[in-house]
Amino acid sequence: MSTIATFKQLVRLVFALPAAAIISSCTTTEIDEFRQSATTIGENESIVILGRRQNNNYETEGSFVDCVANVVASGQNGINVVNEQEFLDAMFPFFEPRTAPMRTGHLEQLMAVDIAAQKIEEFGIEYIVWLDGITQRSDQSGSISCTIGPGGGGCFGFGTWSDDSNFEAEIWDMDTLSTVGSISTEANGQSYMPAVVVPIPLIARVEANACSGLGNQLKQFINGT
Amino acid sequence: MITRVSLSQLPQAARTLFLPVAIILLVSCSAATIDISGTYPAPLVQKLPLTVGVYYDDAFTNYSFIEINDNTGDDQYIINSGASQVELFNTMLPAVFEQVVHLDSIDSAANFNNLDAVFVPAIEEFQVGLPQKTRLNVYEIWVKYNMRLAKANGDYIADWVMTAYGKSPEETFQSVDAGVNDAANVALRDLAASFTLGFSNIPEVNEWLRSQNALAD
Repeated sequence: MSTIATFKQLVRLVFALPAAAIISSCTTTEIDEFRQSATTIGENESIVILGRRQNNNYETEGSFVDCVANVVASGQNGINVVNEQEFLDAMFPFFEPRTAPMRTGHLEQLMAVDIAAQKIEEFGIEYIVWLDGITQRSDQSGSISCTIGPGGGGCFGFGTWSDDSNFEAEIWDMDTLSTVGSISTEANGQSYMPAVVVPIPLIARVEANACSGLGNQLKQFINGT
Repeated sequence: MITRVSLSQLPQAARTLFLPVAIILLVSCSAATIDISGTYPAPLVQKLPLTVGVYYDDAFTNYSFIEINDNTGDDQYIINSGASQVELFNTMLPAVFEQVVHLDSIDSAANFNNLDAVFVPAIEEFQVGLPQKTRLNVYEIWVKYNMRLAKANGDYIADWVMTAYGKSPEETFQSVDAGVNDAANVALRDLAASFTLGFSNIPEVNEWLRSQNALAD
């Protein structure tokens, strides 16, 4: 086999590996909705999306909460979403991890405190959405080794891992002080990192898909469509 | 034969290289200093109709915790939280009490004839949990405080322990400084939350507040 033929084969391999990985590096997203009551929201009304941070081993990431808030607020039928940090600061100390209402019964007690109820009314909050969940990485395998020398450097190998996102949104109605429904999302996907001279990360957008799926479903849910 | 060469005898290029390398080696061996900084919201609570003097001693204002490297036994991180602690209390106390007076010493309370009480916070214990040690994907801070409340003449009112806990998820490309700072700020907010909501419920404090007619009906 000539040198040119070997080089052509190498080039094919460089392009074929990522192409194969792109095809298989997809994400599966499943969304479940459970509605207990009808919902509707006016133009001057708002919602706030808060991350649950009471779990010992993890906490719902602020970036995921922001992502869902952006999806709910944007596009057709976008809803006014109060910024999480702005709300937490304004309502301090009632929504901190140690003091936040865990159930609607606790919310009733909180709304009996005039100063807290007035602030919620000032914001025009119609629904509070609690987000709870995490993205976990598992099934990591493969290895990539890189070398560098006077004539240059490069990497060779293959790595893969799996990401699983599980999030649940619980929606509280501030008029009836009750739970009106919940939406859960489960997304998973396999990511690949082939390396032939240069590592090519082919990342499955698991959390991004969970965010857009949950955000769009939440927007529909609150708009009552 | 051993030839001794002084730094001045080395070529210019070698000297230029020597100094930065030496600095890098020295820096990499010393403990990293983390200064906790943050802003804290004023609590949304009904003020108690009291004038309280507050005194922060040097141990509190300059509070520093040293995390030891388990492998070498050397100082790994020096966490300075005194300034943030003072800032937190300076934000929190004026929201809880009608008037707050800052005291230079506990004895100076006698110079103010309108003080209802003197409050002195102290840090008894400080712990930090780093992901590299705990194997959890979170930075953690735990602080144990001792709070003392006395009358202006020094008579005892109450002395109680409070704990604060904060955690912050470990993020990709996040520095240890940022992770520890975030966890510390959550812990400080936690303290402020439990202090503002729980102050009146401390049995001895509650009894004293009743005697002062400071509790709303």
